[in-house]
Amino acid sequence: MATELPMINGHGQQANGTNGSNGETSSFNVKAGLARMLKGGVIMDVINAEQARIAEEAGAVAVMALERVPADIRAQGGVARMSDPLLIKEIMAVVTIPVMAKARIGHFVECEILQALGVDYIDESEVLTPAHPSQHTDKSGFSTPFVCGCRNLGEALRRISEGTAMIRTKGEAGTGDVVEAVRHVSQVKDEVRRAKTLVEENDDQGLRAFARELQCDVELLRQTGKLGRLPVVQFAAGGIATPADAAMMMRMGCDGVFVGSGIFKSGNPAQRAKAIVQAVTHYKDAKVLAEVSAGLGEAMVGINCGDMSDKEKMAQRGF
Amino acid sequence: LARCDALILPGGESTSISLIAERCGLLEPLRDFVKVARKPVWGTCAGLILLAESANKSKSSGQELIGGLDVRVQRNYFGRQVESFEADLDLPFLESGPFHSVFIRAPVVEKVLTPTSSVPSASGDDTVLAPPRQATKAQVEILGRLPGRAKTIKDKTVNAEDLGEDGDIVAVRQGNVFGIAFHPELTGDARIHGWWLREVLKATAQRYIGDTDSPNRLVTGG
Repeated sequence: MATELPMINGHGQQANGTNGSNGETSSFNVKAGLARMLKGGVIMDVINAEQARIAEEAGAVAVMALERVPADIRAQGGVARMSDPLLIKEIMAVVTIPVMAKARIGHFVECEILQALGVDYIDESEVLTPAHPSQHTDKSGFSTPFVCGCRNLGEALRRISEGTAMIRTKGEAGTGDVVEAVRHVSQVKDEVRRAKTLVEENDDQGLRAFARELQCDVELLRQTGKLGRLPVVQFAAGGIATPADAAMMMRMGCDGVFVGSGIFKSGNPAQRAKAIVQAVTHYKDAKVLAEVSAGLGEAMVGINCGDMSDKEKMAQRGF
Repeated sequence: LARCDALILPGGESTSISLIAERCGLLEPLRDFVKVARKPVWGTCAGLILLAESANKSKSSGQELIGGLDVRVQRNYFGRQVESFEADLDLPFLESGPFHSVFIRAPVVEKVLTPTSSVPSASGDDTVLAPPRQATKAQVEILGRLPGRAKTIKDKTVNAEDLGEDGDIVAVRQGNVFGIAFHPELTGDARIHGWWLREVLKATAQRYIGDTDSPNRLVTGG
């Protein structure tokens, strides 16, 4: 399906946007616009109003409302679904920052419900149990923008073809082990670099072959190569537990970070939350990072991804 | 900051921006830049909120503001992301036609405050104020309005004429401080950027002309 190409820093084509005020879907520019306002920020998972206020006071640019953080979903098993709307509304009522919420992969009705609730972003998340055996939801028909996860450039561009306005690398949620987040960010970077080279060398054949290899749209790949980055905002996610982790993801070129279990499963959530916000702002300043990392209390215990089988990895979910 | 001739406060999440500015010890220097040195400053969206002397609908424990515009803003005026929209604005200070603008969870200027009274009397529970500095003689100019249409057209029941409204205030200026509620960087139309930079050149030239010993004397022309 056709997707409008976004404006990024004055480059790229102008969005041929439909105007949301006519009752039509919001244009891509408007959907992707909020993500751009969140750049340089930290989005925190919260399970109740109290945690949402702690996150807001710590300087989070948005909160992700859910019933259980990924670490608990992992520990408790069972089927993980969209949260109770009452919980989401409660959280929306107590903070002035944007509120995001998760829907299962392919569960377009959960998405419609979240849109009806008025959440600012919908995360079609691999942390919940996928609801469709082979497809994601068609996101372009929604006014509410979506954020989706990816492990590589092909996955990212497939999601963008479906209408996603923001990407996060998946990492391995609920583990507190940053290695998978690093793996996925590196993968995307390498593939973007390859696309860039192909575009610079005007190698159209090569680009088409690469698009076939990545299983993605060749024009989106071309745009990515031209920009030297994804055409939408890209945050890191999955296993970020410390200020150092967050700063490292920023150093690797991410536009911001999601921190899930990492904050409220730690010994001192309010302080850790503030420390991570400071770390993302001062990610190049090791002195500040040393200061904010000191005396933080216990980080979340976590699971070593090296000990996990592929089957246990949530990042495998999705298409 | 002291070496800068002008400053832009871009969009973002104003709650986070003011918390982080406070923690970095930047709030006071920023207030001095805007309200004492009075160098040119341009705030968009979150930037407009921070430059206002007063803001409604901040988070429950309040929000630090920089101040500089004698206005009160209301945050998230149109609602959440689903209420975000694009609109064509008639901006009299620009030439060649309307400006296509993007409003994302935007604020509006709810009220122009009288410059000499920086402390409005009956402020609501969720109104926050910026700490006052030296008053300015400059008046607040309203530079752009959004016709009431956009806010109400979703209902498809009334239009701006019926409401008898001039529209919501979305662009203001007071002396060297310029604030807008929408995002010109999202549409590729550089006219506002161009206009503001020319205003900065004018303001900076004025400042240096008076200071003949300054090594930073601005060289114009050529």
